[in-house]
Amino acid sequence: MKLRDIAIGANASMYYRLNFKKIRGVYYPRTETDVLAAIAFARDNGYDVTPKGGGSGLSGACTGGDTDRIMMSSLQMTEMLAISKDIGYVDVQPGLTPDEINAVLEPMGMKLFVAPSSRDIATVGGILSTDGGGNDTWVNGTMRDNTIKVRMVTYDGRKLTVSHEGVKSDDPDLEAELTKKGMTIHDVASSHGTLGFITELKLVIRPVVGETLVGSLAEFPDYDTLGQAVDGMIKRESPIRYGETIVMAHPDVREGFNPPLLILQYPEEYESELKEFVDIKRLDTDEFERLKDIRIKLPKRNPMEGVQFALFEGYGFHEESLRNMQHTLDEIDTLLKSHDLVPFGKYGHAPSKWYLGDNTAAYGIIMHSREIRPEGKTGTELLQTVLDIVEKCDSLGVTPKPEHKWPFDDEAKSSRLNELREVIGPGFNSFILDEACDDVLSSMV
Amino acid sequence: MMSTSYDKCVRCGSCVKFCPLFNAVGEEQYSPRGKTYLLQVMDQIEDDPELAKEFRQLLFQCTLCGRCSEVCSSDVDLLKVWHEQRAKAVQMAPEEFEYLDALRDALANVANIYGLDPEDRAIYWLDELEDDIPGLEDRVYEKGKTADTMVFLGCLMSFRGSQMDVLRSLFTMLEEVGEDYLVMGAEENCCGHPLYLMGDEKGAEDLRKHNRSVIENAQAKKVVTCCPGCLIQLREHHNLKNAEALHHTQYFDQKMETTPKYNQTKELAYHDPCELHRILGIKTEPRSLLKKLGVEYREMEASCCGGGGLLRMTDPGLSDIIIQARSAKEKLRDTVVVTACPSCREQLLASENRTKDIIELLADASEGGAE
Repeated sequence: MKLRDIAIGANASMYYRLNFKKIRGVYYPRTETDVLAAIAFARDNGYDVTPKGGGSGLSGACTGGDTDRIMMSSLQMTEMLAISKDIGYVDVQPGLTPDEINAVLEPMGMKLFVAPSSRDIATVGGILSTDGGGNDTWVNGTMRDNTIKVRMVTYDGRKLTVSHEGVKSDDPDLEAELTKKGMTIHDVASSHGTLGFITELKLVIRPVVGETLVGSLAEFPDYDTLGQAVDGMIKRESPIRYGETIVMAHPDVREGFNPPLLILQYPEEYESELKEFVDIKRLDTDEFERLKDIRIKLPKRNPMEGVQFALFEGYGFHEESLRNMQHTLDEIDTLLKSHDLVPFGKYGHAPSKWYLGDNTAAYGIIMHSREIRPEGKTGTELLQTVLDIVEKCDSLGVTPKPEHKWPFDDEAKSSRLNELREVIGPGFNSFILDEACDDVLSSMV
Repeated sequence: MMSTSYDKCVRCGSCVKFCPLFNAVGEEQYSPRGKTYLLQVMDQIEDDPELAKEFRQLLFQCTLCGRCSEVCSSDVDLLKVWHEQRAKAVQMAPEEFEYLDALRDALANVANIYGLDPEDRAIYWLDELEDDIPGLEDRVYEKGKTADTMVFLGCLMSFRGSQMDVLRSLFTMLEEVGEDYLVMGAEENCCGHPLYLMGDEKGAEDLRKHNRSVIENAQAKKVVTCCPGCLIQLREHHNLKNAEALHHTQYFDQKMETTPKYNQTKELAYHDPCELHRILGIKTEPRSLLKKLGVEYREMEASCCGGGGLLRMTDPGLSDIIIQARSAKEKLRDTVVVTACPSCREQLLASENRTKDIIELLADASEGGAE
């Protein structure tokens, strides 16, 4: 074993204490040929394959669990293959980040409109595998909405091209079978690397429209008022270009602000209509940028005492759970406190969009949550808390981990992935769909 | 309560793509997150002697450029972590760092990194420059001499022929502004920076003591150096009671409200030395001088040249990859890289880039604007 076999486990989730002895190889391919060679090695030796992007996700999917496996990173697949400004697409390898892509596109006046807060490290292949989005998802959709098609390699080395319309393969039988199953990009989105390794993406790019935007701050007396304000924006289809909420923040990182609050940016001409149902205060550019910075750094900062950690990535408040946000949050906080967890920060995208396991779209607030890492809790206890939260979310009508549509707890998604794997074959990140997934995850906390 | 700052790392990965080592190799173990992660799971791997050895080696495959500390939003003082871990590594397994013994011995015996006679510190450049700078020999410190300003050249500038043009320009400009100065010469010890970078605080302090007494005896109010590494030691670790340590760009920016205009005929780009702008926070003075000189230049990425953190000694191959990648990425072939650090200069010259220290531009401008 070498340090490269261990360091590959670095990821932002709380599932980071891997059994390194089960990692049978680490690969950083540069080309599809390299990918095929690595998969062949895994196949010949009966090992699983775990794809990994930037490792900024919080689901633990990129750890690969504890199966005998090879780990395949996309971090060296960073070529921009083609740019079509006229048609509006860019062909890229999967290891590029939105920031890297946009650095090239910006001088052309074009942009990939996917902006997760981790866009400096999250790879586009990884973002599609979790169907991530960001503060502009409400306007621009999630990663699947911005992906035209992907090329991927399966465990048996066959190649697929999956788009919104369907699937093509170098193997006509496979293509026919998957077409019969109705496979589309929706299936690759949020698949957490269980179907294959993405080797290329064709992504939507659009011109940066020069509209005059203004920023403002809305502060709320309680969570219901916040939820109802966001609900109002959804109903009116408000043109919010940037919408973020800080629901609560530990006093050490609050920097004088008083959550719950919304940080909004929208076309200047929309302001009068927005004022009809939200009490907003106009911010100058510096104030607006400062608030954005406070928000974007919340997932990374720490309190003066102790260390924050990501127990459970996110909650999707929509419809009733959004309008009755106070009750919903009280229930969640009561649950957290009953497990001796001290809230550190709650924040997220508002209004936002995500997809449910059956691929229908939902609209509301995607709220991320951080707690202060408790001393003396076992992995099993912490994982049990996570499972209790999932159950609580289901009872409250909240989508658990909406951006990442946790397949290990989403029956619609996991049964669909299993159905496709019956055709494509297993071999990719199998632990996620294994019954023992919870035990495996708790062993890594 | 967490006891070590690396525990605060949430492994978000924001530092990964900024790291010159990660960019050179492309594998996670070279990244700051990868190394911090290894520390976080060390209890799982430390029983394996080969892994522990590999980790100790990995700690020295780093330029200590500080970019990871700069981008970290989790309040992890990564630079401090790397310094502490390096010290621990050398202490735990000195036999693995025998390749550094020659440097350590040289510093212990003759107080310079080249193992040359200390008397030679003021020989090479004096021979070369005494015709250009009349009276330069009298500027070399001897016991009993005093001056307002002490010039601390550092090992690179004292011994390397490649630094001669910078030295000539420095002395020319000191004469031009009428400074009352001395050069430490044979009485200069290495500032201790190389030992500091390998975690040998005691060895570094032994070297500093002599410098401190020389500067005090000379009754200097200012110590000026062109080397950011030396300046870290002089400003932060020498505990100088009555003298202010300054980088030469700070000194001349303060001293010269205006400068003659530089006759620019080539494309220029400014490279911020990591130790100067990121660790010492000196960003405005070099740019202020460039503005006064009236030069047009492009800003280079605030990234390392690959010469820091002893990397040129511990892994010269990686150091070469870093500067070559930067040269290609930032299209330096048709550009003169302006900088303000003798170590960056060496690194740029070794990769066949053209480079000038800001003081050379200043001296050229003062001598009539000829490039």
